[in-house]
This record gives sequence, structure tokens and C-alpha cells, in this order.
Amino acid sequence: MSRLQAEHLYKVFGTRPQDGVRRLEDGAGRDELRADGTTAAVIDASFEVEAGQIFVVMGLSGSGKSTLLRMLNGLLEPTAGRVLYDGQDLTALTPRELRAVRSHRISMVFQHFALFPHRSVLENAAYGLEVQGVERPERERRAAEALELAGLKGWETSWPDELSGGMQQRVGLARALATDADLLLMDESFSALDPLIRRDMQDQLLDLQTRLKKTIVFITHDLNEAMRLGDRIAVMRDGRIVQNGTAEDILMRPANDYVASFIQDVDRSRVLTAGAIMDAPGGDRGAAEVLAAAPATVGAETPVAELFGPFARGGGAPVAVTDERGGLAGVITRDRLLAALGEEPAMPTPADAREAEVTARA
Amino acid sequence: MPRIHLGQWAESAVSWLQTHLDWLFDIINTVLSGAYDGVVAVLGAPHPLLMAGILAVVAWWLRGLLPAVLTYAGLALVDSFGLWDEAMATLSLVLVASLLTLLMAVPLGVWAARNRTVSGVLRPVLDVMQTMPAFVYLIPGVMFFSIGPLPGLIATVVFSMPPGVRMTELGIRQVDGELVEAARAFGTTPRDTLTRVQLPLALPTIMAGVNQVIMLALSMVVIAGMAGAGGLGEAVYAAVTQVDIGGGVESGLAVVILAIYLDRMTGALNQQVSPLGRRSLAKAAAAARGSVSATFLRYRPGAAVAAVGVVVLALVAGGMNLAGTGDKQTVAAGMNVGNGKKIKLGYFPWDEAVATTYLWQNILEDRGFAPEVKQLDPGPLYTALAQGQMDVQFDSWLPTTHKRYMDVYRDRLTDLGAWYGPTSLELTVPSYVKDVDSIEDLKGKAGQFGGKIVGIESSAGNMGTLNGKVLKEYGLDGEYKVVSSTTSTMLAELDRAYKKKEPIVVPLWTPHWAYAKYDLKKLKDPKGAWGTGEKIHTVAKKDFAQDFPKVTGWLKNFRMSEKELASLEAEIQAGGKGKEKESARRWLDKHEGFADRFAPAGA
Repeated sequence: MSRLQAEHLYKVFGTRPQDGVRRLEDGAGRDELRADGTTAAVIDASFEVEAGQIFVVMGLSGSGKSTLLRMLNGLLEPTAGRVLYDGQDLTALTPRELRAVRSHRISMVFQHFALFPHRSVLENAAYGLEVQGVERPERERRAAEALELAGLKGWETSWPDELSGGMQQRVGLARALATDADLLLMDESFSALDPLIRRDMQDQLLDLQTRLKKTIVFITHDLNEAMRLGDRIAVMRDGRIVQNGTAEDILMRPANDYVASFIQDVDRSRVLTAGAIMDAPGGDRGAAEVLAAAPATVGAETPVAELFGPFARGGGAPVAVTDERGGLAGVITRDRLLAALGEEPAMPTPADAREAEVTARA
Repeated sequence: MPRIHLGQWAESAVSWLQTHLDWLFDIINTVLSGAYDGVVAVLGAPHPLLMAGILAVVAWWLRGLLPAVLTYAGLALVDSFGLWDEAMATLSLVLVASLLTLLMAVPLGVWAARNRTVSGVLRPVLDVMQTMPAFVYLIPGVMFFSIGPLPGLIATVVFSMPPGVRMTELGIRQVDGELVEAARAFGTTPRDTLTRVQLPLALPTIMAGVNQVIMLALSMVVIAGMAGAGGLGEAVYAAVTQVDIGGGVESGLAVVILAIYLDRMTGALNQQVSPLGRRSLAKAAAAARGSVSATFLRYRPGAAVAAVGVVVLALVAGGMNLAGTGDKQTVAAGMNVGNGKKIKLGYFPWDEAVATTYLWQNILEDRGFAPEVKQLDPGPLYTALAQGQMDVQFDSWLPTTHKRYMDVYRDRLTDLGAWYGPTSLELTVPSYVKDVDSIEDLKGKAGQFGGKIVGIESSAGNMGTLNGKVLKEYGLDGEYKVVSSTTSTMLAELDRAYKKKEPIVVPLWTPHWAYAKYDLKKLKDPKGAWGTGEKIHTVAKKDFAQDFPKVTGWLKNFRMSEKELASLEAEIQAGGKGKEKESARRWLDKHEGFADRFAPAGA
């Protein structure tokens, strides 16, 4: 069973939200509801998140992604639908039980850090533990550990306003990690940071994730960030989840024009992997023969951007792709590589024009 | 549009409350008066210069050495004005009122910040509280709680509450929504969110509200002086109503000194109590540490050192008090009729009232009573007498001028008879206005007087007669406009015109000290439009005869001739403000046997 499950979540703001849900279920559109002052923020959202996964919800502002996130820990009560966390229905809890879940089992990291300006860095990191009622020496020890994990050792006695944006968000991260909650909700957590810092933070999150194996729901409007972080990505538009899949799924098989237009600007060569674009090994030749013939072999996880070297060295002959055990998984021809970069299945653009553009960007 | 009798409803509501919730007002009265008296006792106990020292140490702790020195100098100045007791009474009233206000305002503000409906309901109520002229509820306050500090306290609380509520609400609403959300996201209970996140972060704004509350309370306390709240308000009010410019400036300055002290201290307190304020203080201290010069000027004692200083000074003060209680009132043998019984004499600032009240204060003291004198406006004074909160007053002009009060309270007062009469009302011009000797002569000379008669309070009886009768009978009502002002304004205007030898015509009455001070001419009234003269009565509370049988007899016999009254008023005038009692004593010494005429010691 998956760790977190959202089942047909609706959030409707207005005077008679339940009516709104009924009308949406009957097929009414978002705009029809808006006409009489009812706002449908999230419409029929369902998904599952496995333990240890990073689940990214991606969408532009106003797409309902932040509202969706806040229903997962009960900051907003869903108008309809259920949230199951380890099989427990969070929407059925009393306020007191819900608070207990939030303080022990779900943490949150905010867009603008939301550090308490009247508390030191250490006190901020210890906040969740303080709410849990952990004694001071214990909670300070654990908060210090969390700060060290987040790379802030030595800053314990500083104040939030003395720290740079990136460091402040590390405090926010430490505060979330200190409670040992398994589920981490991250609301555009890196959006307010400079691009370089943002990249650092993404790397650090991925690094932490290999060690801590948290279950993370990450909200972003940045597709590159989504592709970098997400084990699975849900794309939201106008309150609905329009596609839910892996980065490759989204890039290779966009569900509709909207998603397709979205992925135009993605640096495909860094998201797509050799495994995603390879062809099956040619029919009559054996695996050993193919491996021997290929000028180079690459792992299935190698980004497409790193395939150009092997091709260049091999004079354009097909490259072999191996699986984790070193066995042959597939081959990539030169044509296949260029086609993958230019591939825009939903967009009826001439292939060569696409190609030129992508090549230039790469 | 039909007449909506809102005023009548309010009146019946007030009288209903008076009869049915009497017990509640008594409880409130006891509790709040107790609190006020307690604070007055504490603040008033130490010697003025020691108390000033204590307040200066507080200033040193909160702001530094220079403010402490200025505090001490300012407070010493107040003491040298002879206004120390008044200043401490005012300070007590402000502190009690502010504390009471904050006890209500902060929870209300918190509630309003968390609930839109409450906020919406509260807003117009606060508007009313803030803008309704204080006198409107000062008088009902007197009806419920009688004169004294309490109506002033209530009026002050009503007036200063709105900024407390508003700033608290604003402060809490201003707290970054993401911080509140963060607190919730970590499972904080609503109450902990309030105490751990919202209140600490709203504290600077709330403290700005506290500062406003205190300043408004201080400004209100002066107005409350008119309802017998005592303190500097009464001093200011007495000085102004008696055209005592010097006294007005001194007592006004004392108010300013207190105001500045309270303002700066609460401002500094803001930094001390709020976590963010303490941080910025620590930062500033760290920045200043670099420079060595004049560090002792910047030295500020810690809270502990300051507390020790305050305690030491307080102990010294306590010790001096024990040593200093030596003086006791001495009453001649055989004269002690009163056995120290309290008797409360009320007066409003009319000269004959001042004169007789202080005269009787001396006489009653000689007879062993403990008379207290208190200045009030006529309305509150009659109300207080009717309620038995005051015992007696000497300046009831009957049957005309004070008819309104007697009509209302006749059943609850005792008229002890007239001691002076007849009085007269008149229009008066300076003697240098040559061709005007009678009211008739005013006709056709409006240009000379600027077309106006500078009047007194529009509520005064003689103003009614002037407008309704005198002007009409002499055919002047189209020609002259009666400008209503206040008695003191009228007298100030007279003084100004007199010095510049400008023509002026004012409504005046006899007896009045103005006739002694300026060379004035009473205009003849051949048609008798002003009516016949009145008599000045002594009026007491209903049970006066039971409570003070001896004094009742004395007061019934009390008479004064115009000559005696004039010389007494002149003596008091010459003695100056604040020395009325001593002046009356001097007059009594000069008129041996005067008191025995109607208050024989042995009788």
C-alpha cells in the first residue's frame, strides 16, 4: 500500500461549496462556477505517493497546487474526498488528533521560509519538538543534529535575519527534519532563491533523500526543478491534475497540448536518459555481438546530454546501453538520438527546425 | 420626521440603572476606589524628592543617565510648584485607568483579530467611545458613582480603550500569515499560536497602543478633574475657572512633565519587553561598545540593579515616614465638638463660594471637625449632595439661578436658609464708557460694542434672563448678539478690553470681585427686567441635620453682610491661589468673635 493517497479531493471556496462539488461532478466547468462567485481551487485530484518517493506537483500559479498541498496536512479541509496517510483517513480526524499528526508525522517547508523572527536559529529548528513537548536538552540536541544535516553547524545562536535566503531555507528544512516526521510537504520551497542557490539546495535535498528516504510532496512551478527532483510528477492546470507520471512520461508522452507546450522549454538533453530513448537490441544479433560492435557503452541512467561524446568518438556508430548488471538493455542510433531531442509528438512542427533549435540550446 | 425621543430613553435607562443596579455600582465603586486609594497611598507615601528619585532610577534603567537627570529635575520642579500631591494623584489615576483599560482592551483586541464578526461589531462601538464628548458620560458617571476619582476613572477608561483594542487587533492581524500557518503546520494549538507567535510578534504594535492608552488617559484626567477626580486636572480646572494664569501654566506644565515621562518610559518599555526590541537593543549596545568615550553616560543599570535602587529608596522613604509623623491637629480645650468627624464641603469656583467654604473650613476645624473641601461644577455638586456624597455647600442662588438643580433634587436636599442677600444681576460696562448708564442707553450703540455682549456659559441662569427677557424688553435683541462662552473667558475678555480701554458690555452679578478689581459701572434697569435680587442659601444633603445636629444650628444662623463678604473676598484675592485657607484664617483672626456669633463654642 502506498504511503500517501489522495482520493477525489475537491476544494471549493464560496458560500455553498458542497453545491459547487456536485455541479463539478455533473460536468460543470470551473468558469461556470466562477460566474456566481464560487472558486473551485482543486477539482477531483487523486494520486498516490510511495514511501521514499519525491512526488512533485507542478503547475503555474493559480493552478491549485498550494491548495492541494494544504489539504494533505489538514491546513485546509477538503470540500470532498479523502486523504489517506498510512491508511489513516486524515479528513476524519478531530482537530486535536489532526494536530498530533501534524506535529509528529508531517512536516512542512514554506516558500518564504516562515522562520520565527523572535527565535534564534536553534529555537526555530527546535520548534516542532517544542510543540511535541520534548524536554529542552533533548530537543536542542536533536535540533542541532538537524541543523548539521542541513549544513548549518555553527549557526545555532544566530538569528534568522542574519542569514542569507539559502541559509534561512536550510533552517526551514532543519525545522522540518528535526521532528522525524516521515512525510515532508515542501511548498515552492526553493522558488524564492537565486538560481545558483536553488541548484545547491536541490542537490542537497537529493543528497539528504538518499540517506533519509523521506516521503516528499514537492510543489513547484519550475518544470526543470520538477524533472530534477521528481520520481513522479503531477502536472496541474485549472485545479485539475492533467497528467501524472515520471519525468520521461511527461517528456515523451505529454497527455495534451497544455503539457506539451509546457515541456517546450525543458532542457530535454538533461532530463531524458539513455534508457528512455533507446531502441530494443536489433533482432538477429546476440547481445555479446552488439556490445562488441558498439564503439561505446553507457548506463541506462546516463543523461542524453552525455551521449554526444561517445557518439563523436565512435564516428556515429550506434551506442549500446547496459542495465545495472552490465547486460545489454538496448541501443541508440544517431538518428534516434537526434529524434529524441527534437521529439514533440503533440506539436506538428517540422522535425528539422526543432532539431536545429534544440541543438543550438544544447 | 417624527421626533425620536432617544434622549428620554437614555434618561430613563440611566434612572433605571440607578435604582436597579445600585448594588453593582457599589461593588465597582468599592473595588476601583480601593485600587485607586491603594496606588495613591503607595505613590504619595514617600517624600517627594525620594519618590522623584525612584522614578528617576526607573528612567535610568529604561533610557539612560541623561533622561534620569531630566526626570529628576522635572519632578523636582513639580514639587516646587507645590503640586506634588496632585501630580501623584493624577499619576495614580492614570496608572489605575491604564491598567484597567489594558485588562479589557488586549483581550478584546485579540478576540476581534480572530473573529471578523466581533471586529465588525466592535468598530462602531469604539468609534462612539472615542468621539462621544466626555461630559456626556461624565455626568451619568457621577450619578452612578458620585463625585470623586471614579467617574473620572470610568470616563478615562472609556476614552482610552479604543486605541488599545485597535492596536492589539492591528498588531495581531499584521503578523505574517505564513508564520501563523507554519505554527499550525507543526501542530500548534490555537492558544499556543497566540501566545508563542502572534502576541510576541504583535507586541511592538500593542505597546504602541499601550503608550496611546496612557497618553489619552492623561489627557482625559484633566477633564475628569471637573467631576471631582482631583489631582492636576482639578488644579488646572480651578486655575482656569479663576483666571489664574500663573496657576494654570504651572499645573499645565506639571501635566506635560508627567506626560513626557510616561511617554518616554512606555516607549522604552516597548523595547524591553518585546523579543525583537530586546534584540535591537543588544545590537545597538554591541555597536556602541567599540567607542570608549563617555561610556559612563551610556551606562544603564540592569533590571536587578535598578530594582535594588528602587527598593533602597523606598525603604529610606518608609523610614522617613515613620520618623516624620509628629504633627497633630490641636483643638482648643472645650471647643472639640466634632471629635474629628469628617464633613465634606463642596464649592464651585464662584468667589463667594470659595470665600465662605474656606471660612467654614477654618471655623469647623476650630470646633474639632475634619472638614474636607472640594471644587466641583454646579451640576456634579448638586448631584453629589442629593446622593449624600457631599455634606454641604454655601452658594445656592435661589429662587432663580439654581432653580433647575433644586427642581430636580429638592426632595433630596435640605435648604438651611439664606446667609446673604439680596444679590443682583446686571449688565456692566467699564466706567470709561461715558454715555452709557442704563440698559436703555445701549440702544443704537451696537457699533461701539462690536454688536455683541460677551456672555458666560449658555446654561447659566442669568444668560437665560438676558436673552429671553432683558434684551427683548429694551428692544435690543436685533441689535446685540449674546456670545456665550465661559465665565473665565468673559472675565479674560473684560480684562483685555479694560487694559486697552475698549468699550465692552458684559453680564455680571453682585457680589463679584470684578467690582473690586476694576472700575465698573452697573447699568440701571428701570424696567426691572432682571427681576428682583436673589438670596444665597446654604444647601445640605438630606440627612445633614441627623448627622451634624450642632453644625445645622450654626449654619442656620450664619449671616454675612456685604461689607464682611467683600473684605473676606478681598483678603482671599490678596492671599493668592492655593492660600485660600490661610487667607480666610487671617480674616477670621481680624474679625474676632465673628464665628462665635452663630457658632458659639460652648453651645
